[in-house]
Amino acid sequence: MSEVDGSAPEPAAVPGVATVHGTGVRREALYFALRNRKLVGGLAVVVAFLLAAIVGPWFVTEDPLTYVGPPAAGPSGSYWLGTTTFGQDVWAQFLYGLRATFFVGSVAALIAGVIGMVVGFTAGYRGGLVDEVLNMITNVVLVLPVLAVLMIIAAYLEVRSIEVQAVIIGLFSWPWVARAVRAQTLSLRSREFVDLARLSGLPVRRIIFREIAPNMASYLFMVFILLFGGSVLFAATLDFIGLGPTDGISLGLMLNHAKQWSAMNLGLWWWFIPPGLGITVIVGSLYIMNVGLDEVFNPKLREM
Amino acid sequence: MGRYFSRKLLIYALTFVVAVTINWLIPRFMPGDPVSAMVARAGLQSPEGVAAMREYYTGLFGFDVPVWQQYLNFWGGLLSGDLGVSLWAFPQPVTSIIMAAVPYTLGLLIPAILLSWWAGNKFGAYAARKKVLDNTVLPIWYVLTATPYMWLAILLAWALGKVAGLFPVGRSFSASLRPDWSWLFISDLISHWFLPFLSLFLVAFGGWAIGMRNLIIYELEADYSHYLGSLGAPSRLVRRYAFRNALLPQVTGLALQLGVIVGGAVVTEIVFDYRGLGYLVLEAIKASDFFLLQGIFLFIVIGVLVANFIIDIVYVLVDPRTRAGMGGGA
Amino acid sequence: MRNRLRFLILLLSAGLTAAACTGADGANAGGDAAGGSYPRAETLFTSGTQWGPPSNWNPIMNWTYATGTVGLLYETLFLYDPLTDEYEPWLAENGDWTNDTTYEVTLREGLTWSDGKPITAEDVVFTVELGKMESVPYHNLWDYLDSAEAVDEHTARFTFGEPRYQQWANWVYFNPIVPKHLWEGKSEKDVTAGANEKPVGSGPYKYETHDQDRQVWVKNDDWWGKDTLDLDVKPRYIVDLVNSSNEAALGQLLAGDIDLSNNFLPGIASLVKGGYKLQTYFPEAPFMLAANTTWMIPNTTKAPLNDAAFRRALASSVDTGKIVNSVYGQIVSAANPTGLLPIWDKYVDQATVDRLGWTFDTGEAKRLLAQAGYRDTDGDGLVENKDGSPLELKLATPSGWTDWNEAARVIAEGAKAAGISVTSETPADTVVQDMRESGEFDLILNNERQMDNTPWRYYEYIFNLPIQDQQTTMNFGRYENQQAWDLVNQLDATKVDDLEGMNKIISRLQQAQLTDVPVIPLWYNGLWSQASNNVWTNWPSAEGGAPAYVPSMWHGYLQRGAIKMLTELRPAEQQ
Repeated sequence: MSEVDGSAPEPAAVPGVATVHGTGVRREALYFALRNRKLVGGLAVVVAFLLAAIVGPWFVTEDPLTYVGPPAAGPSGSYWLGTTTFGQDVWAQFLYGLRATFFVGSVAALIAGVIGMVVGFTAGYRGGLVDEVLNMITNVVLVLPVLAVLMIIAAYLEVRSIEVQAVIIGLFSWPWVARAVRAQTLSLRSREFVDLARLSGLPVRRIIFREIAPNMASYLFMVFILLFGGSVLFAATLDFIGLGPTDGISLGLMLNHAKQWSAMNLGLWWWFIPPGLGITVIVGSLYIMNVGLDEVFNPKLREM
Repeated sequence: MGRYFSRKLLIYALTFVVAVTINWLIPRFMPGDPVSAMVARAGLQSPEGVAAMREYYTGLFGFDVPVWQQYLNFWGGLLSGDLGVSLWAFPQPVTSIIMAAVPYTLGLLIPAILLSWWAGNKFGAYAARKKVLDNTVLPIWYVLTATPYMWLAILLAWALGKVAGLFPVGRSFSASLRPDWSWLFISDLISHWFLPFLSLFLVAFGGWAIGMRNLIIYELEADYSHYLGSLGAPSRLVRRYAFRNALLPQVTGLALQLGVIVGGAVVTEIVFDYRGLGYLVLEAIKASDFFLLQGIFLFIVIGVLVANFIIDIVYVLVDPRTRAGMGGGA
Repeated sequence: MRNRLRFLILLLSAGLTAAACTGADGANAGGDAAGGSYPRAETLFTSGTQWGPPSNWNPIMNWTYATGTVGLLYETLFLYDPLTDEYEPWLAENGDWTNDTTYEVTLREGLTWSDGKPITAEDVVFTVELGKMESVPYHNLWDYLDSAEAVDEHTARFTFGEPRYQQWANWVYFNPIVPKHLWEGKSEKDVTAGANEKPVGSGPYKYETHDQDRQVWVKNDDWWGKDTLDLDVKPRYIVDLVNSSNEAALGQLLAGDIDLSNNFLPGIASLVKGGYKLQTYFPEAPFMLAANTTWMIPNTTKAPLNDAAFRRALASSVDTGKIVNSVYGQIVSAANPTGLLPIWDKYVDQATVDRLGWTFDTGEAKRLLAQAGYRDTDGDGLVENKDGSPLELKLATPSGWTDWNEAARVIAEGAKAAGISVTSETPADTVVQDMRESGEFDLILNNERQMDNTPWRYYEYIFNLPIQDQQTTMNFGRYENQQAWDLVNQLDATKVDDLEGMNKIISRLQQAQLTDVPVIPLWYNGLWSQASNNVWTNWPSAEGGAPAYVPSMWHGYLQRGAIKMLTELRPAEQQ
């Protein structure tokens, strides 16, 4: 955070995002990464869920919305997480929902990450008027309450698909990335190796991709993790208030259905606990992974 | 300092214009026509009756003038506090519906935001670099901050409301009461308020505590801390300085998190059937009441902008550099 | 810092004590009426009619008025009880056709508006004449009515150019009389879109207050019916609560905060037996009375839906049983192929139904498709259009109408099994409305005809002609059959007590309907009604000894006899 503090009184105030110090830490980083319990533990959980999301649906019914079992049955040997009031298999819905969750999270994070990086790099590297304009746009989008914007857009979409949802979330989640990347670029730009590259006459794009980007790779990885977590939560929120995909299933939609069909009043806890728990565990593990990464890249933070 | 504020205000003004324009634009590009919706509800059979109704509602919603004029009228109405007529609660004006709901939402949000921020910072700072404590509470905070607002709300409503029966779930106050300032009513109000408040508070609390804990660790590793330590300053003093410095980014963080917390309030209200803005959002969506939805959106944007501005002022007041008159760029 | 911490603790403990207090207050709230609460033992809490804040008390706006505006406040000339098929004079003492084209209605003696003014024949004539305004819903009354006049203070006479007995019988029980002395000066805009605040009516309740989340009525102690009809409504207050989510209503019903919920409450079947003192009209499936028929409406202007044989195949492919059992948990029942509600059983021509009707039978659906020349040419298991082009139909239900969304999925599944590609889509409700009116859909669901005094209303919906650019209320499938429409008009012109004459026409209409399949009746939607016996008892029920009235506060149901439910309620035994 120190570099950022020096340039402006607005550090990237995203908990857990730290900066990468210096070069040549990669091998050392790997060594510490394998020994960081937060990182390894978090990663293990996320990978387990990811595998379940990819492989799981092959082992359950083809369409998680069909009525396969007795209505409103509790967890049992044949229906691990019970059934809904219609007799849909909650476990099957959960697996398909995980898939949707990972899809929305990664696509939205990718979009937001790319926009944020491009805007941030350009602003920070070019400076001057370009910086002024881009920074202004960033600040405007930053102040807009994202969820409210997403709501108003989603509400007007005639047919909502999971892809569209991922795109609109991505389109409005990038500003803090741009801002943080800009600060990073500003500090890296003034480092010697960039000056050297520039003196040797390399074009701007190559300087950015060859010299600056690799130095920020680990940082960007952490940004991606935070974007992923945030997008998953946004998607779940939209789904829950009834602005989710109009077809298919996701963890947020499961919560929405459970609420609409009075699962709480009817005591069908197996319908509303798993989807929320799934989101919480995935996002929580990602956050913990992120702390671990932070400690790996930032030796000062390592536990003594 | 003046430059700093004028720059901020410019950003806010721009944001506002963008928000208003998005707001005005979207329904005009999207399917579903409020005039037809109103006419269809009336269930008229005769074509002349339908035409008469159509004309009436077109005029009422201001669709009978050219588009550019609609845009200007929208601004004009907005500046005079007129956000149009709600379809859901026809013929009530959107502004009055929103105003009736706002106290409930603010009553949830303000205590939840301030208390979670304050408590999160305190506990986060306290736990930082205390190995045992850090290892036990940190995972809990991470789980809290990763929890979707509505899920925690459902869990609390189910466990403390439905199963344990400690708190009522549903509505902002009991249906049998008339609003007045009696103890009966106020206590009822508080008991309905508590669970939604708690679920907002808990999720936000986790985030602040983690943020503060991490910032304190950075600060404690900063050169000045080591320097102070090597001078023999008591660790309590070092920690206090670290806390002060860490507060600044947390203030900025507050501004950044506002939108998210407002979103959290929306879904929490929906879970608890708490009759604030979140409830209105759901109603507006269900009834395809674009005017109401636009009004709520604008209200949230304005609220967030105002809160941002207040935070800016607080920031300047708290920041020792600006206090010392050094000023600061944006 | 210390102070702030103390504040936090104070706040938390305040919350907890408050909770404890409400727990205790719940028990004795009935006792203290003076405090800010409605006396629980004298108040009826209802829910399930009002979906937004009460915002108008205009009986002419019969689609949005605050719950109870018609029935509790404004009254009709007659009541009509669909369960017994009887008209009961209400404001009217009697009403008769003095000859084939003249109808005379005589008002009771001693009727008064709540402001003390007498109700006279002038008010009745004035109300009917309001229909001359084009945007009044009953404007088309004047297509066949020539004149309305007050013969004397109590008698109004109506002269018809072309008598439409069925429609008129519907009008006299459905539409409330408004006070001329207060409505005379109103503009058309005020009449058809005005809020009518501080309403003055004639009924057993008066407007007390309203808020964003409730409408409160207080008993009218000077109600004319007390002496004249010897009826007394029991609740002192009626508080109708705005609960737009069914789950919220269910929570309040289980907590005993709502006495009568007219919400659709999925899962209620299991709760009725669960010790919550809840009650539905029938103690067993289908639990609810049938209120209206849900049809699937094919757009008869589009291929292949313009082909009656195809429509029949589609009708045979729908697994209605699955919708009834799995989607609705048995609180609805499957519809007869005619779609006529159970109260209209006497109009069903069973021989015709046996001959032309259909049941769910995937094999039969396949056979019908093959017979009509629809074949699967590309081997994907789904048939193509006759010209070989791909056949893909969309069934649109409004997003958020979860029961219909689920039902649509079941329908799509069934159709696919029979080889017809149907996909369920759920656009916003206004979009579905647009599609429906402009005829730009393949398939939709609709249920906009309630149980009523005459099946003429039902057939009017199916066969109405001519087709307009915008079909606003009826015949959304744009089905054209002039002969059938003429029959519907003939039915309209048949006297309501001429059952034989009516059945002759209806039987031919059923033939037309079952041959051509302009709509596909699926199931009977319930008259959702869940009553709690915690505070009030003696709710309407099919069981012997209990009052048999429609137990609903929905628009239009108080004049269908539900008002008398209020006179039969009894306070529960105080524990």
